[in-house]
Order: sequence, then structure tokens, then C-alpha cells
Amino acid sequence: MSTITSPVSLDRDLAAIVGEKNVARTVFEGFHINGVVPSAAVFPGSPEEVGALLRLANERDLVVAPAGGLSKQQIGCIPERVDILLSTTRLNKVEEYDPGDLTIAVQAGMPFAEMQRRLAEHQQWVPCDAAYLERATIGGLLATGAAGPLKSTFGHMRDFCIGVQFVTADGKVVKGGGRVVKNVAGYDLMKLLTGSYGSLAVITRANFKVFPRPRQTRTFICSFHSFEEAIAFRTRLFQSPLTPMCMEIISPGAPEYLRDAEPVNDPDDYAPEQPVSLPAVEWQIVLRAAGSDNVLARYSRELGSAVTRTLEGAAEEQFWGWISHFEQNVVARHRNALVLYTHLAIQNVGPALQALQRAAPDYNMIPAAVGRAATGNLVLALMPLSVDPPSAMQYANCVSAFRGMLPPGSSAEVAHCPTEAKLHFDVWGTTPTDVNMMRAVKRAIDPKNILNRGRFIV
Amino acid sequence: MDSSILRQLKKIAGKDAVLDRPEELMLYEYDAGVDKHRPGAVVFAQNTQQVSQIMRLASDKKIPVVPRGAGTGLSGGAIARREAIVLSLARMNKILEIDVPNQRAVVQPGVVNLELSNATAKYGYYYAPDPSSQKACTIGGNVSENSGGPHTLALGVTVNHVTGLEIVLPNGKVVEFGGKAQDATGLDMTGFFVGSEGTMGVVTRITVKLTKLPEHVTTLLGIYNTVEDAANTVVAITQSGVTPAALEMLDGWMVRCVEANVHAGYPEDAAAVLLIELEGMRETVEEQAIAVSEVCLQQKAREVRHAKDEKQRQLLWLGRKTAFGAVGRVSPSYYTQDGVIPRTKVPYTLAEIERISKHYGLIIGNVFHAGDGNLHPLILFDARDPVQTENSRKAAKEIMACCLKFGGSITGEHGVGLEKMGLMTAMFTEDDLEVMVRLRNAFNPESILNPQKMIPDLHFCREITGPLPKAKFEPVAGVPV
Repeated sequence: MSTITSPVSLDRDLAAIVGEKNVARTVFEGFHINGVVPSAAVFPGSPEEVGALLRLANERDLVVAPAGGLSKQQIGCIPERVDILLSTTRLNKVEEYDPGDLTIAVQAGMPFAEMQRRLAEHQQWVPCDAAYLERATIGGLLATGAAGPLKSTFGHMRDFCIGVQFVTADGKVVKGGGRVVKNVAGYDLMKLLTGSYGSLAVITRANFKVFPRPRQTRTFICSFHSFEEAIAFRTRLFQSPLTPMCMEIISPGAPEYLRDAEPVNDPDDYAPEQPVSLPAVEWQIVLRAAGSDNVLARYSRELGSAVTRTLEGAAEEQFWGWISHFEQNVVARHRNALVLYTHLAIQNVGPALQALQRAAPDYNMIPAAVGRAATGNLVLALMPLSVDPPSAMQYANCVSAFRGMLPPGSSAEVAHCPTEAKLHFDVWGTTPTDVNMMRAVKRAIDPKNILNRGRFIV
Repeated sequence: MDSSILRQLKKIAGKDAVLDRPEELMLYEYDAGVDKHRPGAVVFAQNTQQVSQIMRLASDKKIPVVPRGAGTGLSGGAIARREAIVLSLARMNKILEIDVPNQRAVVQPGVVNLELSNATAKYGYYYAPDPSSQKACTIGGNVSENSGGPHTLALGVTVNHVTGLEIVLPNGKVVEFGGKAQDATGLDMTGFFVGSEGTMGVVTRITVKLTKLPEHVTTLLGIYNTVEDAANTVVAITQSGVTPAALEMLDGWMVRCVEANVHAGYPEDAAAVLLIELEGMRETVEEQAIAVSEVCLQQKAREVRHAKDEKQRQLLWLGRKTAFGAVGRVSPSYYTQDGVIPRTKVPYTLAEIERISKHYGLIIGNVFHAGDGNLHPLILFDARDPVQTENSRKAAKEIMACCLKFGGSITGEHGVGLEKMGLMTAMFTEDDLEVMVRLRNAFNPESILNPQKMIPDLHFCREITGPLPKAKFEPVAGVPV
């Protein structure tokens, strides 16, 4: 069933809820979600307004796409349609913060970096270093379960979020959890919403536990001539008493994208900074450690000659910023790149990286990888060969070939690829988790499937 | 219990795996909390297939099933009403796999928490969540309750350590969530399931993270002349940039009670002691120990003791870990609370508990996870005295009301179960609870599994709770409903 609503009457009804100035044709000129342009954009100013908007959408079977900083809207399948882009950006206040409690309550539309600055005044932080934190909102980061290198030790948003307020598809403003760090009253709705890609509810507020920010850190870059040596080094690290904050593995092709992106005229041009006569072979394991001079000296001693470079201060911050923005750098240079996120058992990091190196050349792509060596969350990039770019079907075949080589229990979702290619394969792929139960959960709180219809796995 | 049901249960699980005589059932009518109900039968499943068959039988016959581990829960989560089946998972107690390279273990639900740590210690790993009952409680129970423990301050609770589950749904269907990978594509069903208190499915296999044993551990004992100073130290330590592995507080009454029992070396004239554990790399721990001692002294600690060796360290912890047992020696009954408050509100809340204690003339001892703001006031009473019993419940409600007033929670790690179901409406609105019911119904549509637990029986869920009597709902004085 679908109701024909003329854009004019829809605009009028939306304006009746949020006011005329908070309804727009779009968020900016040319915005689309995988080629689909939303019919209208709305900017509610309160959870109750979100509720009224969703009630309206639910009654009229309008498809709603919740939105924050728009940094991850292209992830997922091509939607059949988007009637309303619901932006949370006006919900952007800190609601409660007492540094002594080590907790903070913020509205979902606040850019993450803004919250982080408030926390930094008290030497505290939420240890998340995902990409584009100046733009990305709290709600968006939660909804996408986004993470960066700090995931190695701190976990990701699911591990910090202690309470959440959200609006269900039928317009109810609901909460889970609370404002204390330990709480088992009721179901853990924070876990359910983290990584749900806006398919279950619109998040309007989140409460986090915060941590003391490390006073001093140092980064140790260790280089290896072969992949095997790098993996063997990782095993030795696991057995050592060292407890680094971050542990990244960097493939030979990746350093090209670990620097400030330069403006490119032709986004598909593969022109390495230093053209190499021989293919790069160097693998790196990069550690970031926190602690006193004494502690950091211990790292130097234990790591010994494996360390080829150490970084501190601004250079260190810059380096980790590049790691966080590896995918964004790749995509800025190659708009047709294929990017995958993996979820692997620790020992499957090796096989997955080998699978990448094997699959890429067969489909006219050049591989590069960066990722959490200690947790199996890798960001894999495949750049189309400029002289003989892959066809849309070759993207699909490349993804299937790669997934086929992964050990059982792994999952690999496509975070970026040309929209045309998305027609030929399943963006999300298989998962060890029962998909029917996921769908049952979706039906339970969004029975008419108005939230991000057709975009996520459910 | 209907004899044909018993016959079928015996056919599924074996003759020696079903209990139905009153004297046997008596042993399963309680947990470590306060409520009591005798079940209709107890069945011990030995594998996933049996769990599935039992659930299918129960679903067909519409008989409620209550999963149970070791029965050490404190909120009545494993207590079955009359004519319900208790499904014990205690015989599914094998460690299926210790996968050191992947830092995971795969266990059956009946594996005892501490046994897993003991089994993995030789590889340099352990299972981090450590409820006080860890010598007896099962990992399946820990998953259902999302259990915590003293060492969860730095490392998180059960949900932060579970990556995969095998679940039997009420209709007998077996499903998998997650696995050995840190997370998986799609909804985080594993995280959502942990802490669902047996109301969504029966856990039959669990994949947990193993944590590397720290290189160095040290324990400090801060001794205080006033409870306020100890409470202020808690806030000051967390603000100093140090996150201890554990940060526990015992008040003066508890200190004396513990000393009479085990001689842990706590000074009997102290008003409060803080037990602070630091772990990690040797250098880090040594520096933090100095920093923390300074903070304690700044906050007017009378003395800070540093455990000289492992023996002294174990002795200090013995006092904390046997605190509940020590109370059992001096009081015929006690009622353990599990409120949580923001850390900065610890001093006010302790003062309020003191007032409540005086008002009802009941001793209330405090032993708790101070670093998390997770209080465990123990209300002492004599269960043979109906007035005292009634007063203990009233005092408990007032303590909870106080926690909620400060923006806290009614339970930090013990679960809602039967005990705190009536308080849920003080924390959550009807809409909040209605959404939880909808989610529960996605798994457990007919409330066959653990009915009438966790979510109170409000008007919207009456139809689905079937013919069973309605749950009690008592308003709490001072708490807005």
C-alpha cells in the first residue's frame, strides 16, 4: 500500500510539526543516498517533534532516513525511495555532564568532536577515533557502530553507551539504560541500537561513560619485509606483557593513503607519490602506548630493533588521524574504489589479508589494508586499475571471491563502491548471527518498515 | 505436575534427570535472594538437543519454563512458579574449547565462572568478570544476568566479554548469534541478549573473550576515620586519571563483622576502608600505587597499607569476598541491595542509608563497588519476626527511592527478576516498558520462558501472560510513577 502525497501537501504537514523554516527540499544541493534523492528534509528541534514526524510517516507509509552529519549515508543498499530525510542536527546540546561522575548525556545531533572538546576541558574523553568527527554526530556514530584504531583496547560505542533515548517508528519517545555506569535494569537497548544503521529507531540522546584521557602517548612503527614476519611479531606482542592502546597492521599499498589528501583533478587516477619500480612489500605493525616516561622506555626496550620510527606530539596525532581517515582518503582519490569492513577472529586477520592480496589482481584492482590487528576489524580498500578499470560485475565477483576465501564465522560488509555495482551483489554479505531473529526484532519495533527501508540487512 | 509431562521429560533427558518429589523440589524453590516458589518439576538437560526438545514440549503444552544455573542469583530470576518446569543447565558443564591464539573460550552454560579462569590460567589468560559468587555461579547464569563483580570497573561486565551465543528459542528452534569474531555484520543480537534474564531464550553455548593475566597486581588498603573521606577518595581517584582494576568500600560495621570472621587485617576502629587494586605492566602499577596513595592521604586517609606480597593481597581480598558470609554469622537473615548511583553521590547516599537504618532500627552494613557507584547495602533482620521482615522490605524500598532520586538505577548487576519488577515503573515509563515487551515477544511470544519476570504486568501485556496470576505491583513511597 502506498499513499500518493503531493510534495506540496507533505511540506505543509511537515511544517505544521517543525515550523516552516525547518523543512527543506534537501540538506544541500545535489545530496542523494546512492542516487536516490529524498523528497524532503526536516530538522526537528525536540524528541517530541521527532515523534510527531514519525507518527505522520508511519500513518502514510512514508520512508524515513534518519541523518546526522551525512558522513556515512552512502553505506548500505540502494533504497527504493526516501520520502523524508530526518536530520537530528538541531538536537545538539549537552544535557548533563559532571566530570566527577565520569558520565555525560548529550543529544544525538551534536557533532562528536564538540562533545570531545567539552570532555577535554576536564582531561576526559570518550575513546572513539572514527573518521570525520567534526561532522559525524553522536547519533550517527552510534547508529553505524563506527570505530577507529582505539577499538583495540577500548571497544567501540556499544561499550561506552550506558543509556539511550530514541523514537520508535510509531512515534513513541522511549529510553533504555540510564546515567550510571553499571545498570542491568531492563533490556540492553543500547546494544540493539548501536550498529542498527537507523533501521530500528531514531536516536535522540545518548549517555556515555567517559574515561580519563591518557596524559602521554608514543607511537612505535615497526616494519617487516614480509607479511609472515609481521604476523609473527603480532603473536609475540600478544605473549608479551605490553598493553598498547592501539595495534594496527598496515599493508604495503596503504601508506600511499596515509597522508593529507591532495586535491585531485581526476578522482580515478592512480598516481602514487613515489612511483615505484618494484611493488612495495613492506608490512607495518604500529603500536600506540600510553604511560609515563618509564613505561614508554619499557616499550622501546621490549620492542627493540623492530621499531623503525617513533612518533610523538603533533606528528603522532597527525599519523593517527590519517589511519582513522584511510578509507576517506582512498575514496577522495578514487571515487570508484571498493572498501570493505571485516569482522574476524584474531587468527583470521592473516588469511583475510592474504585473500585480499589474491582477489584484487584477478579483478583489475590494487589492494591496500589498514586495521585493528588485535581485534580483526580491518578496513580493506581495492583501487580500480586506471588503465583497465573493472566492470560493475567485476566488483560483484571480486567481493564474492574475497568473501569465499574468508574462514567460516567471518563477515565482510561493503562500505563503499560505485552505486551501479551495488545492483549486482549483497552489500552486507553473510553473518554468523541469525538473520531471521534480526528481522523479528525489526518487525517488533518498526512493523511497517518505514525506517531506512531496504538499506540495511533487516 | 501432570504425569504424562513428567514421562515425556524423562524420555527426553533420562530417568535420573527429572525431579518431581516434593522433598527434591524444595531444593529448587529458592535462589540467593528473598523470594520462594516451588516448581512443578526440575529437569536437567545434558545437551542442546534436549533443551530444544524440552522447549518444544513446553511450548506445545503451554507450560512455563524457567532456566536455572547454580541458583546463586539474588533477584529471583531462576525461581519458578507453581506448575512450571525448572530447566537446569548445571549438567551442561563442559569447557568445549580453549582457543588461546584467538583469545576465546567456548563453554556450555553450566561451567562455573571460576573454573574457566582456573583452566585458562596456565596459558596466561583468565575470564575477567568475577561476581562474588564466582566459585559457584555458572557462566550461563552470568550471561542471563549480565553479571558484574569487583574487577569490572576497568574491564567491564559480562556483556563486554561475550562474543557469541547459541540460543534455544521457546519454540525449540536453535539459533546462533555472533561467534569468535569481535563483532559481526548486522544487529548486535549477542549484546542485546546478554542480561535478558532468561526471558528471551535458553543459552546453550557461549563464546567468551579471554583476558591476558596482568604482569603485575598490587592491592592497597585505605583506612578512614569517616565514611565521607572514603567516599570523596573514590571520586578523587577516578578524577586523577587512574582507573583501578577494582575499587571497593566496606563501612566500619562491615569491617568489624569481617574481622570477626576471617582476620583479614582490617583495623576494627576504622569508619570505612577502601580496597584498591591496580593491575597492568609493572611500571604502570608501581607509579599508580604511589599516585593513588597520595590521593588517599590528601583525602584524609588515616593510613594507606600496601600489600607486601601475594599472601597479604589475598588476605585483604578474603575480607571482601567473604563479607556476605560473615554477615550470615551475625544475623539470621539479610537482604542484599544492588542500587547504583552516580559516583559523586556516594557520600549523600551513605548518609541517607544511615538515616534509614536508624529509622527502622535495623543494622545496614555497606560493602560495595565504590568505583562504579554500585552499592550493596545489607539489611540485617530476623525472618522469624514479621515486623522486622516487613521493615527490611520498607527500608530496601527507601534505599532504592534514594538511588533513583540521584538519577541512579535499581540494579547494577543482580538483575530485576522477581524482586525488583515492581520498581521498574519507577525507572521506566509505560512506553519504555511496552517497547521492551514488544522486543521480548519477538523471541518469546507466549511468555513460555520465565514468565512474569523483569517487566511488570501492565495493561498492555496482560493478554500474553496467559492464565497465570498477575504480578504484584507496589508503588514506592517517594518515587514518582
